[in-house]
Amino acid sequence: MDSWVVAMMLGASLFLGSIALVAFLWGIKSGQFDDAKRMMNQVQFDDEKELNDAAIQQKKKEALKKKEYRPE
Amino acid sequence: MSNVKCDHCHLVFSDSVMIHEGTLHFCCKGCQGIYHLLKDEGLDSFYTKMGEATLTPPSEQLEPSENFDTPSFRDRFVTELPENFSQVSLIIEGIHCAACVWLNEKALHKMAGVIEAHINYTNNKARIVWDPNLVKLSEIIEMIRAVGYNAYPYDASMQEVRANKERKEYYLRMAVAAFASMNMMWIAVAQYAGYFTGMSQEIKTILNIAEWVLATPALFYSGWVFYRGAYYGLRNGAVTMDMLVVTGSTLAYCYSIYITVFEKGEAYFDSVAMIITFVLLGKFLEVLSRKHAADTLDVMGKYIPNEVSILDGETIRSVRVSDVNVGDTIIIRTGERAAIDGEVISGEGSFDESNLTGEADPIFKRKGDLIISGTTSIDALLHYRALKDYAHSTLSHLVNLLENAMRQKPRIEQLANRLSESFSSTILFLAIGTFWVWYFWPHTFDRALMVGISVIIIACPCALALATPVATIVGLALGAQRSILFKSAAQIETMAKATMFVLDKTGTITKGRPAVVYATYHAPYDRSVLLALVSSSKHPISLGIVEYLDKTESAIQTGGISEVNEIPARGLVGRANGVVIAGGNALFMAEMGIETNTLSDKSLFYYAVDGELCATFELQDLPKEHAFESIKILRDFGLRVVMLTGDHTASALRVAAAAGIDEVHAHVTAQEKADFIAKAQDEGHIVVMAGDGVNDLLALARADIGIAMGNGSDIAIEVSDIVLLNDSLTSLAEAYAISRRTYGLIKQNLGISLVYNAITIPLAMMGYIIPLIAAISMSFSSLLVVGNSMRSRWMYK
Repeated sequence: MDSWVVAMMLGASLFLGSIALVAFLWGIKSGQFDDAKRMMNQVQFDDEKELNDAAIQQKKKEALKKKEYRPE
Repeated sequence: MSNVKCDHCHLVFSDSVMIHEGTLHFCCKGCQGIYHLLKDEGLDSFYTKMGEATLTPPSEQLEPSENFDTPSFRDRFVTELPENFSQVSLIIEGIHCAACVWLNEKALHKMAGVIEAHINYTNNKARIVWDPNLVKLSEIIEMIRAVGYNAYPYDASMQEVRANKERKEYYLRMAVAAFASMNMMWIAVAQYAGYFTGMSQEIKTILNIAEWVLATPALFYSGWVFYRGAYYGLRNGAVTMDMLVVTGSTLAYCYSIYITVFEKGEAYFDSVAMIITFVLLGKFLEVLSRKHAADTLDVMGKYIPNEVSILDGETIRSVRVSDVNVGDTIIIRTGERAAIDGEVISGEGSFDESNLTGEADPIFKRKGDLIISGTTSIDALLHYRALKDYAHSTLSHLVNLLENAMRQKPRIEQLANRLSESFSSTILFLAIGTFWVWYFWPHTFDRALMVGISVIIIACPCALALATPVATIVGLALGAQRSILFKSAAQIETMAKATMFVLDKTGTITKGRPAVVYATYHAPYDRSVLLALVSSSKHPISLGIVEYLDKTESAIQTGGISEVNEIPARGLVGRANGVVIAGGNALFMAEMGIETNTLSDKSLFYYAVDGELCATFELQDLPKEHAFESIKILRDFGLRVVMLTGDHTASALRVAAAAGIDEVHAHVTAQEKADFIAKAQDEGHIVVMAGDGVNDLLALARADIGIAMGNGSDIAIEVSDIVLLNDSLTSLAEAYAISRRTYGLIKQNLGISLVYNAITIPLAMMGYIIPLIAAISMSFSSLLVVGNSMRSRWMYK
């Protein structure tokens, strides 16, 4: 009986830990830690404005891909 | 006068020199312009984001941005992406704060055709994707310049892509290994507590299984690099350090599975994870330092391929260097570098050939003289006929020879690898011996196997494998503080074993440009006018005189002059306070009817005001500061120091005497330099070559260690193993001293780990080793090795 408690707790904590590990690995893979200096200053560039900019930029990219957006 | 801050760059200047505009102050027109641009574009929140940081005021002299649109630029730096997008990698100059990154990205995003602009704040590299139908790259560059920065391309070659991938891969493996071994630790605490206080077999098995789960990714994912290394080592017939790590950890792993499944004895999973984590950490740090070195080199190589202007009938056309045919007429302008060999048809002027021949003085060329590719026009504007095409011109010919020289470069085996070979066979022999002794000295098979395996596990070379990487990283860091860039860690050891230093003269021992050694004054004159005159020219002689005046005259201001005219191979003429002023060589003075009678083997510069000779300056290419002391340090280490130069014997001997070198070879060509080194290597020397020019390329590639000067040609930097970023000879001596010290440290560290093995292996053979002792001794010896390396870092000042 006791040993099952130990096993369960070990399993649960390793599972939770591995979720954190996987999240960290995802962060590395998607390049979030490539720029250490920028990361430390990220708080300065993290408000609504920046989100909007990113969205506009994304839209522009989509539009250019579809060749709809062609200002001459 | 009070000091005020410039409202753009935040640098502080005296109020009197500032440009005033209402309540605003600017240090220069450039700052003022950018300030208003940002205001108009609605980007002025930049200043709040910037905080207390300061910027570099924008520079004025930039090369034309059209260079970024040329076909040869596109061939070399621009990648085509699907959907007709283009991509380029740039380095942005002038980034001082996070707000700078924000501003650049923001300004670029506002442009119509820019799809992506991402700037890395750590290494200032930017990746820009744009639609070439909507915007030209030159416009993008103009935008970056408009907001006060500058950009130049770098080759985001396969090498960098690979380096980035490697770094990321190690990062991932390191994260997994650290996670596994840190979790392993708290399980191990329970296990060891249970070992002494008693624990049921059931719980022990549960803990073992948990450790098994953790050890598996650590060994097979994080440890994959060691399996790979061991495999390649074996294929080359060598037992490497990786091989030892792999056998030790795999055996421990298999044995622990056996223990877990059959529920007897103690498992060694924690040792498995620990070995992998510790050794991987050493490799990871090495990869990081390599990435740092690559980044530094990219920032240095500011280089834009020039097109060649050729005269096609009456029109001037820009063509790629590879498209030039023999017989084409090429135009070369002031400051340009010749890419094609040829013969001068018309025009005249001086060329800097130091890059190719080692001759420091400018060479005067006129009709009929040969132009050699790789040389730079100082003040010449001339037309010449191509005698060879690009592939056969001197410069590219040398580059082709390089490959051969690189292949012949000897590889010196590292001490740790040599050691690991004999070490691993000894350990295997001892382990098998132990097993048989225990088996026949009546014990059960299980017990004998356990003791035999514990010998291998305890000997598993955690400290041994860490000894070299940790020491070399300390060496790399010491070098980095002193502007010495080792391209990879293994070179430190080779450098330490060097027996012979071969040095180039021009640019390596000497400054590579003339400096005033003697000045005679014949009549009083206004120094500020002379300074203004020589400042207007980029000729090496003028630069030498500017430097001299700056050094000797205190608080000299440039005076007002007008109508300055630079006459190639003669000098400078201008007008100040209503009279003609002239500075130049004896020929120029004679033509102006001024008598000169100085005889000297040095370059002479005369200065005359209104037809009267006022001053004579003698200039010479001088050895660098501390050249003598630095070379003495090398010689005191017992090294043979040789100077090789393409320059003529007289100046070679003069420099050698000043620098304290006995062995001099002058009139040496690029190929002869390489041959000289090859011959020395055959005689058993380990040769270090230091040089900077194109004529040193083959020698740099052939030598065991090639050292390039930071301001040397970019190919020289590419083929060399070590780069001295500050060009000084002090760094050269320091590079050797650091290498020696690091090699000493490697030996100490290897010694420590061998002593540790000498103590623990007998214990293991007697059967006293349990997993707890294995874990403690392993971490203790690793700490000892790391601590010893750190101690060296603090002690070396």
